[in-house]
Amino acid sequence: MPRLPTSLLRKAYAIDSLLPPLLGPCRDLNSARNELRWLREHVDKVSRARYTKGGSSAKGGLLRTLVRKRVSGGKPIGAPLQYGLGTEYFGDLEIEVRPGVLIPRPETAASVTHLTRLVRDARELPTELRILDLCTGTGCIPLLFHDVFYSVRSDVELRFLGVDISSKAIALANRNLQRLRRSKKYVHKGVTEFMLADVLVNPFADRARRPDEPLPLKSALNFNKKRVFWDILVSNPPYISPSAFRTTTARSVRGFEPRLALVPPGEAGRSDTEQGDAFYPMLLVAAIDAEVKIVLLEVADLDQAYRVARMAQGMQVYDGIEIWRDQPDQAHDGSSQPSSEFPIIGQGNGRSVLCWRGPGALWLGKNNGEASNAGPLVQKPYSELDSVSKPEAVHSSLHPESFMQMQGGRRNV
Amino acid sequence: MKVTPWVCRSCLSRFARPLPSHHIRFQSTASTSESVPPALLARARTIAFEHKQLTEKLTDGFDTRAAKKLGEYSAIVNALKEWDKAKESVAELTSLINDPTTDPELLALASDDLGATRTHLVNASQSLTTSLVPIHPFAHLPCLLEIRPGAGGSEAAIFAGDLLRMYQGFCNRNDFRSTLLKYENINGTQEAGVPLSEAVLEIDSENAYGVFRSEAGVHRVQRVPATETKGRTHTSAASVHVLPSLQENSLGENDIEDPESDYYIDPKEVKLEVMRARGAGGQHVNTTESAVRLTHIPTNTTVSMQDSRSQPKNKEKAWVLLRSRLAQTRREKREEEMVAMRRSVVGVARMGRGDKVRTYNWNQQRVTDHRSGTTVHDLDDVMQGGHTLDKVMESVRSWLMEKDVEALLAEEAPTRDVKK
Ligand SMILES: C[S@@+](CC[C@H](N)C(=O)[O-])C[C@H]1O[C@@H](n2cnc3c(N)ncnc32)[C@H](O)[C@@H]1O
Repeated sequence: MPRLPTSLLRKAYAIDSLLPPLLGPCRDLNSARNELRWLREHVDKVSRARYTKGGSSAKGGLLRTLVRKRVSGGKPIGAPLQYGLGTEYFGDLEIEVRPGVLIPRPETAASVTHLTRLVRDARELPTELRILDLCTGTGCIPLLFHDVFYSVRSDVELRFLGVDISSKAIALANRNLQRLRRSKKYVHKGVTEFMLADVLVNPFADRARRPDEPLPLKSALNFNKKRVFWDILVSNPPYISPSAFRTTTARSVRGFEPRLALVPPGEAGRSDTEQGDAFYPMLLVAAIDAEVKIVLLEVADLDQAYRVARMAQGMQVYDGIEIWRDQPDQAHDGSSQPSSEFPIIGQGNGRSVLCWRGPGALWLGKNNGEASNAGPLVQKPYSELDSVSKPEAVHSSLHPESFMQMQGGRRNV
Repeated sequence: MKVTPWVCRSCLSRFARPLPSHHIRFQSTASTSESVPPALLARARTIAFEHKQLTEKLTDGFDTRAAKKLGEYSAIVNALKEWDKAKESVAELTSLINDPTTDPELLALASDDLGATRTHLVNASQSLTTSLVPIHPFAHLPCLLEIRPGAGGSEAAIFAGDLLRMYQGFCNRNDFRSTLLKYENINGTQEAGVPLSEAVLEIDSENAYGVFRSEAGVHRVQRVPATETKGRTHTSAASVHVLPSLQENSLGENDIEDPESDYYIDPKEVKLEVMRARGAGGQHVNTTESAVRLTHIPTNTTVSMQDSRSQPKNKEKAWVLLRSRLAQTRREKREEEMVAMRRSVVGVARMGRGDKVRTYNWNQQRVTDHRSGTTVHDLDDVMQGGHTLDKVMESVRSWLMEKDVEALLAEEAPTRDVKK
């Protein structure tokens, strides 16, 4: 990482002595100022709460501690701001975060919001709509779906089940649910639950399980008397390959977020790419088992999106498959749209794969699934795909001054 | 069409709403005064004269148009009658009291009466004024107050912060709900004396635009800055921009959707940019990037918002601000066209962004408004948004009202006989 120019450091120091350290992780003055402001607001809130409880309200110490954590944390690049503040925004929702559980990302919020709006606008929906979220982490996906859906419509009972292998994640997801239920704007409808299970293991694999290991998904559903059939499956599983983990992730991701949430486990004979893709076959099987009508899977980039879309096509049950970019609600600017076997929606990096079948088409506002891409498999050579989108080297990945362009401020319905 | 306000009629029908009576005091200063601005009085007399002529015409035969006009005028004519009567009573009583030959019993009676008659006159003045004054079609809306430092370096930025706190104090005292929509100073806090680069205060109460619109313009400060070592007085300035605020509750969906409305923005003409990490994104990166920038392409108006950690919230705020700014520009343009159309515009001072409207002088502890000519001396109270500020603001509103009336008269006088 290039050194920061002394002039910039001096300028930052003149504004506030706490700014220069934040320049390290932020890289530019504007972001550093924003962070410092958010940290200050947080400290104000905390000290006000302490004060009303009769404690001291010393702010300076707490602020300095938070800044130091952000900067050093024992490592060259500091802990993510969100762990310091204790929350992150996911769409409009403030979600509690904790070390040991992945911080929700804005890209996930964008695709989940888009999916929810499409479904919300459907004329006909079942009276109960069941949404399964595998690898739920903080529980952010079901919570946002609930929020976006019920903010406009209340004639449908939503049933959510969030599944994760980490008991830390399940505890935090439940905490987030309780926290939201206490907020004024929460609509008390539907059922939201979280469950510990492993979505990767095959229940029939003849391998001895340790007693403290989470049950495989199917067994856990049975054991906990959960529904077997679902309508929508959403998942943002670990999808980073070991080599991408070393070269492409930001240091504050690598150093502070759980590897369990980011990199699928390795197995003898698996290539780097195969390891990165490890969750998708299992997720697609789970989708068939649960007979879901819509599947939304987050991916790392356009290449992985193509691979996952083809796997889904291979299941031969879907009436349509498309790829969403980071901002699926924005019309693409038409400039660099690669011609593709699957429709690509929106702007930004390739971010998720959407599949539907049967009534799923209507729930998504598709015209009876006429735009079918589930036909015979047309395999493209990999070399051609590579030229479509190479993941950029994102070592010093932040260029916050550069705004990514999009057209159109509002959603075109 | 003679009693129409000076802003286009279609806007009026779209926005004008009956004002709750307790807000009327903000509309003019007449509430505490026995007098009516001379221009207004002249206009009332003209209308009364016309009213008389029309009445005579009507006795000759029925005329729908005349009848309708008569109806429109009668409120003004009645208010004028009441006012004349009250004025006369006060004059009569006063002359009785001042007359040494008045017999003592009558004198006592007259003195008793004078108080009540005076109050009556104050009320009559108010109803006469309100029956005549064109109400700004957006007066009932909440508003956005934008404050930015002008010439004068960091001293200007400090003064901009002082103005912000002044208006916040004013809002607190007068029960206006205000929230900081945008606040950018150099280190992101709200401490006093920290230079401010831009603040947008949203005043979310009914009639806020009517109360604050006359605050728009350049506010000048003369004082020895804290940073000045040689004790020299500096002159700096900050600009205040006032826009009617367009929230769903102040303005129906229709106004946003209706292409005819000032608030309509074609979403296709707006470029939305979200700040985010370049590169892989998703699980690879975990920075908080919530900034949003909107650009209205045809006018190249940009609004960026980064105050909140929530991107949807920043987007929402940015849209509110963009919509308000564009609407203001459109309105100003239309008003300019109208001014240009008037043949003889006497003394119509447009209050644009460039005009110096008020001076705050620390050495003399005074505040002078250059439009109304009012000077007050309790500078501290003004800067706290106290009653003295009310006084200054009221003086400007009443000045503005007179200007509006003059403009109205100037516009009508030459065409009075030509118009049908
Ligand atoms: C990338 S995170 C996604 C979290 C959350 N859905 C979000 O979008 O922020 C992946 C999650 O999968 C969980 N996970 C990892 N391996 C798993 C497995 N075998 N079965 C179930 N969950 C697993 C991790 O604990 C982590 O919470």
